[in-house]
Amino acid sequence: MILSVDRLNLSFEDKSGRRKILDDVSFSIEEGEIVGIVGLSGAGKTSLLRTLNLLQPVDSGSIMFDGQNIVGLNESKVRSIRKKIGVVFQSYNLFRYRTVYQNIAFPLRIQGISRGEIRERVMSIVSELGLEHRLSAYPSQLSGGEQQRAAIARALVMDPKLILLDEPTSALDPRTTGRLLDLVVNLNERRRVTFAVVTHDMDVIKRTCDRVAYLQNGKLHFFGPTHEFFVKIENNEVSDFGSPLELERSVLSGQKRLLRVLFWGERTHEPVLWEIAREFDIMINILYGKIEELKNGPFGTMIIAIDGHKQDQFIEKLRDSVFFLEEVR
Amino acid sequence: MFSQIFKATLETLYMLLLSGFLATLFGIPLGVGLYLCSRSRRLKTLYALLDLLVNIFRSIPFIILVLLLIPVTKNVMGTIIGPNAAIFNLTIAAIPFMARLSENSFNAVPSGIIDSSNSMGLNKWQMVTRVLIPETLPDQIGNITVLLINLVTYTAIAGAVGAGGLGQLAINYGYYRFQWDVVLYAVIVLVAISQLLQFTGGKLAKGLRK
Repeated sequence: MILSVDRLNLSFEDKSGRRKILDDVSFSIEEGEIVGIVGLSGAGKTSLLRTLNLLQPVDSGSIMFDGQNIVGLNESKVRSIRKKIGVVFQSYNLFRYRTVYQNIAFPLRIQGISRGEIRERVMSIVSELGLEHRLSAYPSQLSGGEQQRAAIARALVMDPKLILLDEPTSALDPRTTGRLLDLVVNLNERRRVTFAVVTHDMDVIKRTCDRVAYLQNGKLHFFGPTHEFFVKIENNEVSDFGSPLELERSVLSGQKRLLRVLFWGERTHEPVLWEIAREFDIMINILYGKIEELKNGPFGTMIIAIDGHKQDQFIEKLRDSVFFLEEVR
Repeated sequence: MFSQIFKATLETLYMLLLSGFLATLFGIPLGVGLYLCSRSRRLKTLYALLDLLVNIFRSIPFIILVLLLIPVTKNVMGTIIGPNAAIFNLTIAAIPFMARLSENSFNAVPSGIIDSSNSMGLNKWQMVTRVLIPETLPDQIGNITVLLINLVTYTAIAGAVGAGGLGQLAINYGYYRFQWDVVLYAVIVLVAISQLLQFTGGKLAKGLRK
């Protein structure tokens, strides 16, 4: 375990009194994993991120990082911990009057590493991130995507144990978003970089996250594998990201029994439904279906109407073979 | 007459550049001090004190400040007339001005840049020398330009109380002896110096901004 947060509390004082920002938040991040910290604006995501790299002191609770409680350390210890945690801010925050190369080399230069070694480390990272041709450009001359990659390179160059990404896709167009997510997954797989990603973008969660920590008004409402988070969304237990599906009235007013079936993992691509339906001689009408590729496996949702004599046996057998089954009517 | 104007111009430039240099040398560190104190919970009272001092010095009209400083000037410089005495007065007046200007520039550094520097584990010294100063460099060039142009006016005022330079020339020959052409020439040179400073400062700052 690289990071473990235990009962973290944070509140701010303002004109209307004390406002709770984080309320007993506990979760953990394993080495080599990507954890999404999700929730609506104001849920406390960014505050949580700021507490993780010690920019924001907390009221109570502990943060174990790399086997050490990093809450309440003195300034010089805080500085040495910060060097092990890379942060890519939402606004990238590149130094305005330094070139891309100088920006990426900066964290190494302040540590007094030799020029030769700096050059080597910077060059190996920029080639991986496709920034070789932009090394002498200044941040204002870069596109949003390039600025972000430069910021990621600046975080990576320190060889951090953990990289925090704050709303990485909020300012990117769809294509750049796609490239970024590929990059994150790539870095995670090849370099075993551990990430914590603050986001409200469902694509980010689907494509990159192994686990999800879901915050609502400062409280952790869910922490677990990504597919289970999607089950929550499908079951309407998480409504911040839109309700999954509104069935048409005409469908609901029909006579047949309706089932909602969720698939996850290997079985998603197997003809489970067809096999069991054939066994019990059940007619299936698919009203709705989709399959999404989550990072940790495919995830499918289906709504079917069934007809036939052995409906109960069919449902029972199907329930055992799929991830989740519910009778809508 | 022109040799006198030439000599006075050199005196003015000497006062201007030396006091400008000294004011920058002490003013920017004082600005850094103000900035750091204002952001530290522990040093809030120190900030309030420095802030008050800067305000007091900045609100005293320069001519009054010169008068008030007479005993100090005499002690430190050994004399109260001539360019060197004036440089002392000019520097005292300009340090708080420069400190305030540079503090404002430090405050204008985007908070995200400060955050990301902090998250890299920089210490205070690195924060100042590697982030605050480089990130405000074009603005500081602009500040120094404003400072110098202000000092042009101040040197002229100082001239009225015996500092020498173009101000004294204009007062002595122009005002007291009704040689208005001398006043005119002095003014032309002062305007030209200001223009040159503005132009150079602007170019420099623009070159540094990316």
